[in-house]
Amino acid sequence: MSLWRRIFRMDARKSDLDDEMETHRRMAMADRVARGEPEDAARAAVEHEMGNLALARDVTREAWGWVWLEWLLQDVRYALRQMKRSRGFAATVIGTLALGIGAATAMFTVVDHVLLRQLPYKDAEQLVVMSEHGNDPRFNNGASWLDLAQWRAASHSFEDLAFWNGMEGRSYVTGGTGSALQINGLQVSPNLFALLGAKPALGPGFIAEPPGFGAVKNTGSIVLSHTVWETAFAGNKGIIGSKIRINDTPYTVVGVMPTGFQFPYDNYPAGQVWVVQQLSDSDKKLGYDESFYSVIGRLRSGVTLKAAQAEMATIQEQVIQRYTDPQWRADRIDVSVQRYGNTLVNADIRKALLALLAAAGVLWLIASVNVTNLLLARSTARQREIAMRGALGASRGRVLQQMMVEGLVLSGCASVLGIALALVAVRVTGSVASTRLNVDFSTHLNGTILGALCGLTLVSALLSCTWPAWLAVRAPIEPALKQGGQQTGAGRRHNRMRSGLVAVEVAMSLTLLVACGLLLRTIYTLRHVPLGYRTDHIVVANLSIPTYRYTDKNVATTLYQPLLERVQHLHGVQMAGMMSEVPLGQTFNIMLTLSMNGRMVAAGLKPVTPQIQRIFGFPMIAGRFFDDQDTPTSEPVLVVNPAFSREYAPDKHDPQSILGTEVWSLKKGAPKARVIGVMDDQRQRTIDSPSQPEVEVCLCQLTTSTNLYQPSTIAMDLAVRTRMPTSEMIPEIRAALKQASPELANSTFSTMDQIVEDSYGSQRLAAHLLEIFGGSALLLCVAGLYGLLAYVVSQRTRELGVRIALGAQRSDLSRLVLRQAGTMLLIGVAVGTGLAWASARLLRGFLYGVQAHDGWTMASAALLLFLCGMLAAYVPARRAARVNPMEALRSE
Amino acid sequence: MKKEKETYQNRIELLQGTLDMLILQTLQWGAQHGYGISQALRSRSSEVLQVETGSLYPALHRMERYKWIAADWRKTEQNQRARYYRITAEGRRQLASERTRWSGMVEAIASILEA
Repeated sequence: MSLWRRIFRMDARKSDLDDEMETHRRMAMADRVARGEPEDAARAAVEHEMGNLALARDVTREAWGWVWLEWLLQDVRYALRQMKRSRGFAATVIGTLALGIGAATAMFTVVDHVLLRQLPYKDAEQLVVMSEHGNDPRFNNGASWLDLAQWRAASHSFEDLAFWNGMEGRSYVTGGTGSALQINGLQVSPNLFALLGAKPALGPGFIAEPPGFGAVKNTGSIVLSHTVWETAFAGNKGIIGSKIRINDTPYTVVGVMPTGFQFPYDNYPAGQVWVVQQLSDSDKKLGYDESFYSVIGRLRSGVTLKAAQAEMATIQEQVIQRYTDPQWRADRIDVSVQRYGNTLVNADIRKALLALLAAAGVLWLIASVNVTNLLLARSTARQREIAMRGALGASRGRVLQQMMVEGLVLSGCASVLGIALALVAVRVTGSVASTRLNVDFSTHLNGTILGALCGLTLVSALLSCTWPAWLAVRAPIEPALKQGGQQTGAGRRHNRMRSGLVAVEVAMSLTLLVACGLLLRTIYTLRHVPLGYRTDHIVVANLSIPTYRYTDKNVATTLYQPLLERVQHLHGVQMAGMMSEVPLGQTFNIMLTLSMNGRMVAAGLKPVTPQIQRIFGFPMIAGRFFDDQDTPTSEPVLVVNPAFSREYAPDKHDPQSILGTEVWSLKKGAPKARVIGVMDDQRQRTIDSPSQPEVEVCLCQLTTSTNLYQPSTIAMDLAVRTRMPTSEMIPEIRAALKQASPELANSTFSTMDQIVEDSYGSQRLAAHLLEIFGGSALLLCVAGLYGLLAYVVSQRTRELGVRIALGAQRSDLSRLVLRQAGTMLLIGVAVGTGLAWASARLLRGFLYGVQAHDGWTMASAALLLFLCGMLAAYVPARRAARVNPMEALRSE
Repeated sequence: MKKEKETYQNRIELLQGTLDMLILQTLQWGAQHGYGISQALRSRSSEVLQVETGSLYPALHRMERYKWIAADWRKTEQNQRARYYRITAEGRRQLASERTRWSGMVEAIASILEA
């Protein structure tokens, strides 16, 4: 019988039972009257015979087997009545718990999306990625075709191996409407989809030709992601078999993947396309020009990661025999095998999220402890009611159940409010978080999160209710009824426990406050690091350059030069320049390791235009920056940064001494480029790491014959100094870009101020969250302290009155209260300092310019907490001092 | 449900088990309401057995839940509405097994007493 039908039928059955017993009574009466007894005597006899009817009814109902449900409903109704009667109390409890549950749920939502996400592949936990690496596994190399073919042939741990690689340069869907949509283009092995256990929603997909995985039947074919199919082809179902153009190369569409499918799993917003990688004999070489592929494999069921790793290590010993160059061999000495899911989130973010989840958990604990305290106070106030129920025959279990149900109802209400809070919080921070964490937050709720929420609700109720309920039930009935007043014997023990709970709250709050303080100091320090350049009034466009159009052309003269001139003449533009990557841009960096005069030099390379130095106001330490005199035909020149001169100048302490040094030649046979200046560029990649050696080269001196670097294959940032508000400039610049080439409309815009702000990244996010957590914790803690003291004072009114009557000074009384507050706070702070000390380790990775065990931060957090606590204690202390002895004594 | 039944059976004490058996036996002769059952038990035991309301109805409702008996509302000869219970096939089986147990117990007790 379903629960609901039971509930509906319950009332009907109850009246049935009443009827049945009534019939019984009437028949018995009728029999006796028929036998000649007088009616009054008959009634009395029947009533005597039948005994306690109410009890009989109850026992009968118990026989129905679902009386627990009735009790439960009774308890829920009773709990709701209680809540209505003391609205303030209910609101405080619900609000407090909602804060804790909300914070924990919000953080859990983020963690669920980032760390626990379900990858859209079949048995995703069996998928592993493999790469070759040298001694440092962080720098991995992918694998060449020959190597991975050998892996595939020799290994037994995997059902299959597949590979993929990004298309060269940026990819656009071209042709048709004239606009060019930038997409994520990938070259993959034809067996990739089969390995992932994914099938196209439309079309046959790639047909892998056995036995090799480089061969395919339908060559020149392409599979579209659902997003690309919808945005670029309007969801046209007849697209299978038709030709489309990617970067002006025609491909035949053989499939459209189902919604949500993506590989690699990187949430590229505009969608992905996959083309078959055609491998020929020319790929069977080992050289600098070879492509290196990312490799994914599916472990055979039952094969552990360790076993696979061990097998690969053995195979790799054979593989590297082919490499004759010792450096190449050293770079591939080992193979790493990692679960694919674990490679998607970097370790820092994982740690950050777990630390924040822990912080949210602490806040939730504080909230629960606070509610425990509130309920303890309340159960003292309700002692009489409980005792009365006991006296009327309620069993302890029954009263315990009732109090637990009350707790559940309260925490259930709090959950509803909490999840609303969590949703708002995730939506507000989601936009920041999704770009930083590469996660799509559009689907907020799922089974895991709801399950976690239910768990939280239940545990909150258990945590905060059990103790108060147990104490209330165990309290002896008689004294509570006899004394009747509010001042009963159990008070003192209760108060000691409640003081303990407040101290626990204080300790946990201090931990959060210290963490918050450390991050705030980090942010403060980061913001005050001298950048060494201007950031105001600069619009930055990360150009979306259609590489495929410029493979044989000089991109500097055909695209960049005209584009700069066009932008330069826009209204409001003071100056426009280009740089492969603006400082802190985190978009693209070029690292070169080349021999300079017989010495290996490792440095970053940044092609720039001469205007860049004035746009950013980079100070020149020595020599000059590029100017109009530097042309493709003039002497090749370079500008370096102080880090470079410190590393490679003849006199390390004199940047002047590097001027004139000949470093590299830009093309074969040309004279070596000479250093003409040292430009100060503090903080190029991130604010918290020092500059690395870097070389600037004038963009115009890089041509198609340059072998150092091909400018057309790269990213380029356009930086514009403007007189106008940057928001007004962006649409104009975008229009100018689109005119130059339709693909450029895909460029992403920002301002230099924004880029600097974004570079604070995870620290800022963590600091904001911890501000919220720490602030809430402080509030809860102060509220808990105040609540306890106010209660104690009201409970001790009579005692305080007697003290005054016996000659105590009023200041003695307030000191009494303040001393109690001080004790709780000091104990809490002492324990909390220990906790904070232990937990600060978790934060170490985020901190900059401040030690994890920074004494000042700890001391200020402790002081803040102590002062707030004393302030909260001041109000009850004053109330204690104002007790009127006459009234206090009379009130009893 | 199964588990509850087991705990129920473990809980059976002589008297209670006996009451169930007696009620089932009474219903063998035809459907009857609660008052009728108590009267029948009383008259057949020559006024020795007095079943209390507080035991009778819980027993009836419990047996109804176990589907040993079924109930419906009917009119009595005096044109009163009353809830009539009748024994089901499962109830008959239960009665048979209770009777076996009962007679086994009676024999055992008797042999002890006569020894």
